[in-house]
Amino acid sequence: MLAPRRMSKLLIVASRDQLPVVIAELYRHNLFHIEEFVDSGAEGYEGFKIGSPLSGASEASVDLIKIRAIENAIAVNPDDIEPRVLDKRSALKGQIERELPAIEREVENLTGKRSKLETQAKDLEQRVVELTPFAEVPVELELLRGYKGFSVFAGYVAREVVITGSSEIYFAKGKDRSFIIAVVPAEKRTEVEKALQGASFQALQIPGESGFAKAKIAEYADRIAAIAQEISGITKQLADIRQKHTGFLVACEEILRAEVEQTEAPLRFATTRQTFVAEGWVPTTDTEMISADLTKVARGKIFITVLPTDLEHDAVPVEYNNPSFAKPAQLLMDVYSRPKYTEVDPTLMLAIVFPLFFGLILGDVGYGLILLAMCFGLRKFLKGDEGRQFLTVLRNASLSSIAFGLLFSEFLGFELPWHPLIFSRHLNIGGEAGAAGAAIPELMVLSIWIGLLHISLGRVLGMINHARQDHGDHRIKTVMANFGWLAVMWGIVIAIWSYAAMPLMPDLRNLPVVGPGINMGYIIGIILVLVGVVCIARDSVLEIVELPTIISHVLSYARLVAVGLSSVAIAMVVNFMSIGMFITPGLSNLSIVGIIMVVVGVVIFLLGHTLNTALGILGGGLHSIRLHYVEFFTKFYKGGGKKYNPFGMKRRFTED
Amino acid sequence: MVQASQMGLKAVGAGLAVGLTGVGTGVAEMGIGAAAVGAIAEDKEFFGLGLLFTVIPETIVIFGLVVGLLLLFS
Repeated sequence: MLAPRRMSKLLIVASRDQLPVVIAELYRHNLFHIEEFVDSGAEGYEGFKIGSPLSGASEASVDLIKIRAIENAIAVNPDDIEPRVLDKRSALKGQIERELPAIEREVENLTGKRSKLETQAKDLEQRVVELTPFAEVPVELELLRGYKGFSVFAGYVAREVVITGSSEIYFAKGKDRSFIIAVVPAEKRTEVEKALQGASFQALQIPGESGFAKAKIAEYADRIAAIAQEISGITKQLADIRQKHTGFLVACEEILRAEVEQTEAPLRFATTRQTFVAEGWVPTTDTEMISADLTKVARGKIFITVLPTDLEHDAVPVEYNNPSFAKPAQLLMDVYSRPKYTEVDPTLMLAIVFPLFFGLILGDVGYGLILLAMCFGLRKFLKGDEGRQFLTVLRNASLSSIAFGLLFSEFLGFELPWHPLIFSRHLNIGGEAGAAGAAIPELMVLSIWIGLLHISLGRVLGMINHARQDHGDHRIKTVMANFGWLAVMWGIVIAIWSYAAMPLMPDLRNLPVVGPGINMGYIIGIILVLVGVVCIARDSVLEIVELPTIISHVLSYARLVAVGLSSVAIAMVVNFMSIGMFITPGLSNLSIVGIIMVVVGVVIFLLGHTLNTALGILGGGLHSIRLHYVEFFTKFYKGGGKKYNPFGMKRRFTED
Repeated sequence: MVQASQMGLKAVGAGLAVGLTGVGTGVAEMGIGAAAVGAIAEDKEFFGLGLLFTVIPETIVIFGLVVGLLLLFS
């Protein structure tokens, strides 16, 4: 909790003939994060070479590529499929040999045929496009070409053209351009060309077909329809294959991927002619178990030891270590950056505070219920791990919105049967809220309090991080600098308290007076600010420039109230417009106009609240996460840890 | 009459506060957003940081909104 899982560096040495069993055992455990060996002549590794793949590597890769190609062709994505154990590994291995080639041939045949048909259909469609302008021409197409003594022009003109002398003209007037066919003696060709160009002539090629264009078009349309039917038949056949073999294919892919990963693992180890050396990280708690199991499978002919961890130079992989309710929030952490191994891991705080912020912003039973319903609806479509995590985060946020909605007494902007249990957010819009109105100053101060506490927590965590990570003189300076930031912030706050009274905040105006208009609180505040500035400057003078961010960051928490109030305002305006302006007057006079007014009112109601739901998710989610990323994390969090990626696989479709 | 015009001026002030800060935020986010999208297109890992940079100027419009709300309702 609050720190990544502890890791130990394991060194495994054994003779090369132990490679397959050791790799299989490591893969089964799915805990060993391999530290890849780079052939750079590092100290202690002189003479070592990168290992070569185990036997069977290339066959397995070839099969894997085949399976992925088939999955691609019939649109199967293992991530979208509910995990269920289908088969034993050994049984499937035999099945791959027997069935895979047949399925591959079938799919290849069908997709090949389909693409051929698609090309044919495209070709026919192109011909129809070429023929369409000639559809109404009352002569057969072969009569329009193949003359020696005549020239034939066909195309579009912008206006009518006068062609003098002996000629045969077909002219069809269109809306903005007209279609023309002109057959003229060959010697008049240049002259006619010029005349046509004057009318901005766009030439069309005369189709190389015979018979009437109209009949041809009809014939091609029939053929296209036939091809489309054939294609849909093939698509159905592919869907049948998909239906029948999806389970088999994803299971095969899983097995083959495991095989490829295992056979290629030696490429990541250091080897000599007789031995191999594997270095990697395992969770400290599992070290004993893995060592014991490896010794067992290698029948004692293996050397395993835990190497000392050098936090300065080793890039220790980072695995979260959170209680299960906080796990979904890891998604939000990974979006920013994974914590470093030596850092405080704020996932737990994020998991608690993010939903609270979200609820405080949205704070409406109606919208909360809509979000909750959306979460359960989307569960069908989002099947991957990340999707699930996202939905859980959203679920927690919507539950928190419902809770805050009950406190704020809000349902789609209406008041619930009781008055707000905490500060009211009901604005005076359209006379809806009655006399009281919203308690804006109190809400604002509440958000400022949240900001002060959240930022103070961040600074304290900053002190802890620096105390852990830095050394010597620098360590004292950085810790003191964080203290300095805290001192300046609280100094300013105390000075304000002794100057003015505010709701929900202590009033320090009654402290003993020191001078004209100056009391003790004021003095204490100023001293804190000065001490703070000195502490900050001792670490880095340039940081002084950043002092105003203290105020802007604290005030930034006002968004918790401001964004929330704007969503309440939109909801109330929608309610007033739909019910107050359309539905009530419509119902009081139930003529046709009245019914239309009611319908319009309902439409406004639905549209308005849909829009506000979308804005609520965006506003609530984005602003809450932003308060964490910008205002909270910048105080202590660096991130940039390496992801713990153990050698192995979470089996979803197969078992040993 | 005087009270009414005072209310009116308050409303105008609130409108200006929200409107102008909105424009300010928009102008500021324009460049950042474009650059962030470019960076994300190159490297998806940048999404979190890009989002963070893009919403930094949002504070301006929140201040405007706070001022507007205080003007109108307190």
